[in-house]
Amino acid sequence: MTKELIRLKVNGETHELAIAPNKLLLDVLREDLGLTGSKRGCDDSSCGCCTVLIDGMPMLSCVALATSYQDAEITTVEGLARDGELDPVQEAFMSWGGAQCGFCTPGFLMTTHALLEKNPDPTLDQVREALASNICRCTGYTQIYESVLAAAQKIREKRKNEIAISK
Amino acid sequence: MTMPGFRVIRPSSVDEAVRVLADNGPEAMVIAGGTDVVPNLQMRLFAPRVLVDIKGIGELRGITCNDRVGLRMGALTTLTEIAEWKFVERCFPVLGSAVRSVAGPLQRNMGTIGGNLCLETRCLWYNQSEFWRQSLGGCLKKQGDVCHVAPGGQRCWAVWSGDSAPALLTVEAELEIAGPGGRRRIPLAEFYRNDGMNRIALGRGELVVAVHVPVSSAFRRGVYRKLRVRDSIDYPLAGVAVAMKVDGQGICRAARVALAAVNPAPQLVHAAAERLEGKRYSAELVEEIAHEAIRTAKPLTTSASTPVYRRDMVRLFTRRALEELWQTRRGNGEKRAG
Ligand SMILES: Cc1cc2nc3c(=O)[nH]c(=O)nc-3n(C[C@H](O)[C@H](O)[C@H](O)COP(=O)(O)OP(=O)(O)OC[C@H]3O[C@@H](n4cnc5c(N)ncnc54)[C@H](O)[C@@H]3O)c2cc1C
Repeated sequence: MTKELIRLKVNGETHELAIAPNKLLLDVLREDLGLTGSKRGCDDSSCGCCTVLIDGMPMLSCVALATSYQDAEITTVEGLARDGELDPVQEAFMSWGGAQCGFCTPGFLMTTHALLEKNPDPTLDQVREALASNICRCTGYTQIYESVLAAAQKIREKRKNEIAISK
Repeated sequence: MTMPGFRVIRPSSVDEAVRVLADNGPEAMVIAGGTDVVPNLQMRLFAPRVLVDIKGIGELRGITCNDRVGLRMGALTTLTEIAEWKFVERCFPVLGSAVRSVAGPLQRNMGTIGGNLCLETRCLWYNQSEFWRQSLGGCLKKQGDVCHVAPGGQRCWAVWSGDSAPALLTVEAELEIAGPGGRRRIPLAEFYRNDGMNRIALGRGELVVAVHVPVSSAFRRGVYRKLRVRDSIDYPLAGVAVAMKVDGQGICRAARVALAAVNPAPQLVHAAAERLEGKRYSAELVEEIAHEAIRTAKPLTTSASTPVYRRDMVRLFTRRALEELWQTRRGNGEKRAG
């Protein structure tokens, strides 16, 4: 198959790549860019392990043709930490046992990050609803929900402090 | 599973998309959100030479609504955009209720209304990997000559499994379709053929541009109830959409009931419209309509659940939806359908 030259913006960096037109974003991230945080967990787009942010929206990179997202800002789990500092969502998943085997964790982190950007004070029901496309086979979800609520609290406190400082 | 080979064309206007589709005929396939197309390609359910990615066509985006022309949703409007549209609960609660029940939130962030209304029909014997299918010699719909659902028959019973279509049928939606001959508008009900192999009435070179809902069906009370294996993510095993108008005296002024996942097309229960209008609530009348619903439903063994159970659920959902909408003032659906 003739390869196509494409441009992809991932975690703030623009890459020029020659890829086959049928290549999925997930495979480009993993194979061409070495970003193996996003996982392939199922074969029918139902598990959420491949979740990345596309223009801030959590989406499944296993149903996205890479060539279709050349104008988008793509964020993977590797792009969550900033300047060596973990995202509050990552810290909370660590402290509250939100990850066990870890395979689904990148997907959960991305979906949670997007939820809390939009709504930093979700109810438990809203958390469950937002994470319904992400499947975990280890935790039974309780620790994941606790992690999300803890991250939310951390983010709210951080914002309050920032406002206090800027005053 | 891996992807088959194909070329991708990314038209930037409807005219260009129509031209590419007309030129390539059955070799071309539209891809919008890709949440149905990509898993199906991986299962080798079809092998298009050209994939026409319509996501770059600005005209296909966005929701507009006013009291002159009603609601217009561009084909690329995502299900999340519809669910979060601020007037959906007030104007078209049955639509909000149905789109919120589609797949899970990540699929809804990508999945479009155009894709949802053009969804492939589904069947236990069809939506499987190539290896799985070939071990049985294929089926009528794909690479075989036997229907495993109704052996001996020549008809494909793969089931209509989209949730928004029945909801849009209850508010008399219309589709705007672009093709080589220009634009046409047809009632949504005429779009579906009730044939698992040839599901929708789209001709060569045609593309769904938008969905329209008339002002006259705004503000109907409405709800969609759905049976599925996992409430968080799965396709419907049965679905019932109900929309109705009830006046101050409790008299029904308009009512529509439509079903999903129990026929090869989403279908209106025609008796409901005729028998409910002008009537007051009664348990017997509701039971009568619920009975009409199961006469419309023809579930076969196309999914992991039994036909008997799905029929029972159609009756129960119809009864509960009518009771809920008629007897309480509630216009909107429950958070979880079903
Ligand atoms: C795990 C999982 C669960 C799901 N559960 C549900 C569910 O519960 N209910 C449900 O309804 N769906 C479900 N889906 C299917 C799908 O996510 C939605 O139906 C979605 O709305 C499809 O839209 P799309 O834009 O992704 O379609 P695509 O996959 O891009 O296209 C679907 C079909 O429509 C055609 N098409 C798309 N746009 C147009 C257009 N404008 N004109 C002409 N043809 C067009 C394509 O050629 C293709 O045949 C599920 C999918 C997955 C992966």
